[in-house]
Amino acid sequence: MVLLQRQSLSEFVLVCTSLLIAGPALAASDEPMDWLNRMGAAVQQTSYEGTVIRIRDGEAESLKVVHQVADGVIREKVVAQEGNGLEIIRNGNEVHCILPDRKSVLVEEWDDQSTLFSTLPSSEIRFGNEYDVSIVREDRVAGRQTRLLAIRPHDGYRYGHRIWLDTATGFPLQTQLIGDDGTAIEQVMFAEISLNKEIHASALAPSYSTEEFRWFNQSNHHVTRSADTDWVCEELPRGFKVISTHEERMPGSEAFVTHILYSDGLANVSVFIAQSGEGGSQGPSSLSGSNSFSAIVGDHQVTAVGEVPAITVEQIATTMRPR
Amino acid sequence: MNDAIRMQISAFVDGELPDNEADLLLRRMGQDAELRRKVAEYLAIGRALRGETSVPGVDRIHERVAAAIDDKPFTEDIEIAGTPPTKAIRPLAGAAIAATVALVAIFGLQQTISVDGTDAVTPAPAVVEIDNGYTVPRPMDDRLRQYYLSHGATATENGANGINSRFVTLRLSEEEFEESLSGEDVAPEVEADEIPAKP
Repeated sequence: MVLLQRQSLSEFVLVCTSLLIAGPALAASDEPMDWLNRMGAAVQQTSYEGTVIRIRDGEAESLKVVHQVADGVIREKVVAQEGNGLEIIRNGNEVHCILPDRKSVLVEEWDDQSTLFSTLPSSEIRFGNEYDVSIVREDRVAGRQTRLLAIRPHDGYRYGHRIWLDTATGFPLQTQLIGDDGTAIEQVMFAEISLNKEIHASALAPSYSTEEFRWFNQSNHHVTRSADTDWVCEELPRGFKVISTHEERMPGSEAFVTHILYSDGLANVSVFIAQSGEGGSQGPSSLSGSNSFSAIVGDHQVTAVGEVPAITVEQIATTMRPR
Repeated sequence: MNDAIRMQISAFVDGELPDNEADLLLRRMGQDAELRRKVAEYLAIGRALRGETSVPGVDRIHERVAAAIDDKPFTEDIEIAGTPPTKAIRPLAGAAIAATVALVAIFGLQQTISVDGTDAVTPAPAVVEIDNGYTVPRPMDDRLRQYYLSHGATATENGANGINSRFVTLRLSEEEFEESLSGEDVAPEVEADEIPAKP
C-alpha cells in the first residue's frame, strides 16, 4: 500500500510534467475510456505469439499461445505446459481440443469472435454508477511499457479489475481479478510476447499427428429456445439488469431449464431455474473466480452462477420468485 | 533452487519485486515448471495463513510452517479420512518448506492491495451470513457443471470477466470430456458424438 501511495505521488508528478511538455494531445490519450477503446481494437486486430502465466487458487500454470487474425478469420493455438499437454487449435469458429494422452480430439464450435483475450471490457460496456475506471500508473509487463487501468467497484457485490495495457498498442498484457479484500483472485499475464509479428502456418498446426486419434463432436451440446419467464429477483444487487432470457435443454436431460442472464455491464450472473425433482445439490460452490449458489424455491431448484463474489450469487439465488 | 530465487519469488508474490526483475522471473516461469510450482506453494501458504481457506487440514499447514521455522522434521499427513486434499493445499504435498519460505509466508503475504491503491470497497450488506473467505469447492455434480458451461458460453461476450469464464469453460469441457471417455470403458454410449472419420 505504501509502495502504491509512493508510486501514486510520483506518478502524479510525472503526469503533470508530461502534460506540461506534451500538451492536450497526451491528456486526451490518457482518458480511461480511450484506453479501453484502444484495447478493444487491439484484441480484435492484433496477431501475437507468447507465453501466458495464469495464477489462481494457489496454482500457477503456463500456456503457449499463438494468435493470428487474417482476413477477419481468427486462428489460434493454445498449448498447456502442465498436465496432459492439452492443445486447443482454433480455425475460425471451429475448435479442436486435442488430448494427446487419450489420443482423442474434441470438436467444438465457438459461435462468436471471442478468443482467450478478447473478452475484456470495452467502452461500449455501460459501467453505470457501479464502477470507477481510472489510469493508475505506468508499469512494465513482459518487457514492455504499460499503463495500469483499474476498474474499481463501489460495493462488494462485484469484483474489481486491474488491466495492464501495452502503451504502444493498447493490447492487454496482464489482467487481475480483484476481490473485495484487495487480493488478486486470479491473474493472467504474458511472460513474453511478440506483437504483430508474421506468424507462419506451421506455428498454428497441431503438434501431434491426429490421424489415428478418435474424434468426437460436441457441437450443439446445449439446445436452446427463446422464452419469456415470470421469475424475477426480488433483491437484485444494484446495477444488474436482465440481458436475456431463454430456455435450455441440458445434455442428458429432456426437460428445459429457464436461463436468465443478468449483467451490470461488466459482471455477469446466470440464473437457472429447473423443476426441483430434476436432482442437483444445494448450497455454494466455487471454481476459480466463479461462484454459484443453489437454493430450493417452492418446487424449483434455482442456481445462480457468475464471476462475482459468493454473496452475490447467494443473494440472487435465494431471492428469485415467480411473479 | 537457491535462496536468491526464493527471495525473488517471495518479493514477486508480495508485489515488491522491481519491474525488471519481475519481467525476468516471469520469463523464467514461462520455461520452468519447477519455478511455477514454487510460486504456487508460496501462494497456497499465503492463502492458508490469511485464513482464506477453511478446508480440513489447514491447521496442518500451520504446523508445517512452524516446523520449518524450527527446522524440525515434519511428518506428511495432510489427508484426512474421507476428505480429499483440495487444490489449495495440494501443491504442498511432499514439499519441504524452508525457513525462509515460512518467514515469507508469515510476514510477506499478509499485505493486500486495493484495485487502485485507494480505500477498500464498501462491503455488501450480509443478507445471509456466509464465510467471506475462500469458498471451499464442493464436488461439482454434472448439472452444475453444465450450468457453468452454459453460463460461460452465454456470458463470454459481456465483460471483462469473460476471460476467467473462458478459462473455467475450457477446464470444465476438458474435465467433462475426460469423464465421458472414462465412462466409455464401462458403458458404450458417450455424451459426445463420435465422428466416424477425421473431418
